[in-house]
Amino acid sequence: MTDQEKIAMLEETWELDEGTLTADSALADIDEYDSMAKLSLIVLMDDEFGVKLTGEVIKGFETVGDILKLMNK
Amino acid sequence: MIISLTGIPMMRRWTEMKNLIDLSGRRILVVGSSSGIGKRTAITLSELNAKLVLAAIDEDGVKQTLTELFGDGHAAYYLDVSKLDELDGFVGEIVEKHGALDGFVYSAGLGTAMPLAMSKPEKVLNTFNVNFFGFFEMVRQICRKGRYNPGLRIVGVSSCASLRGDKSKAIYSSTKSAMDSAVRCIAKEMADKGICINTVAPAMTATELYNKFVEKYGEDSNTNRELTSRQYLGIAQTQDIANAIAFLISPAARFITGITLPVDGGLTTC
Repeated sequence: MTDQEKIAMLEETWELDEGTLTADSALADIDEYDSMAKLSLIVLMDDEFGVKLTGEVIKGFETVGDILKLMNK
Repeated sequence: MIISLTGIPMMRRWTEMKNLIDLSGRRILVVGSSSGIGKRTAITLSELNAKLVLAAIDEDGVKQTLTELFGDGHAAYYLDVSKLDELDGFVGEIVEKHGALDGFVYSAGLGTAMPLAMSKPEKVLNTFNVNFFGFFEMVRQICRKGRYNPGLRIVGVSSCASLRGDKSKAIYSSTKSAMDSAVRCIAKEMADKGICINTVAPAMTATELYNKFVEKYGEDSNTNRELTSRQYLGIAQTQDIANAIAFLISPAARFITGITLPVDGGLTTC
């Protein structure tokens, strides 16, 4: 899966318009990135990438790129 | 001899004192007894002189619980409650080995937290398999003639989530509401057979589930603060829930059936 496809997956999960996110997008600037979005991210990472996220790891995410790094592991 | 104000000799009154929850001679199956509420319940019931049959999917965990029980004559088994077609055989086997049951506690469950958009059918089914279908099938099998003694009492571990709505809890709440609803009906249907069945509805309890909740949201988070303000007696301890189960599974609760007992630190009343 390409990074662009992974970003598209995030956009779909968070119900954002296509093209809204880039790897450099700051999560703090995304209004939709609330507690429910984080919960959706936890499910997505587990289901699609086999990655178990903890609260501490999520707190450490600053950009979309930080999430992509874990997806690429 | 001291004579009390009632005129009854004190010595006689002291010897008449009794333990309200005495489970001596009662054989009780506890499913989900490898950790958390199920484990604490099993230990508590053993302290009240019950003979326990433990079952859980965590084989090491349930064997560990076995070592912590009081008294002897207990047993532990591996059981995957989601394998519904194997539950008949399991119940048959333990009845054959240990005798008919006097009590059954169902404490197996998945604490699924999932936004609606992520709640695909297979995830819904997976949670229902463990939280409700497993419970329902176990009850169905145990309530067959020859598998229970007169006065059988059953307690399911439900949740306050069945009584309140919350984000990301649609699946979990549904399974617990299903349990409560089934119990109301089964209680009426089985009354003629002398079987009583109830659920307890814990609020957030200090188990691995709560640890994960705090890990996810943070102890200082608004989410956790909101939770602890609602259940104003604090976070429940597993002993709190075990105590309620012990009462409901005992002959002392003879006249209670079909109910969901909140054990919630005030949560559902505010």
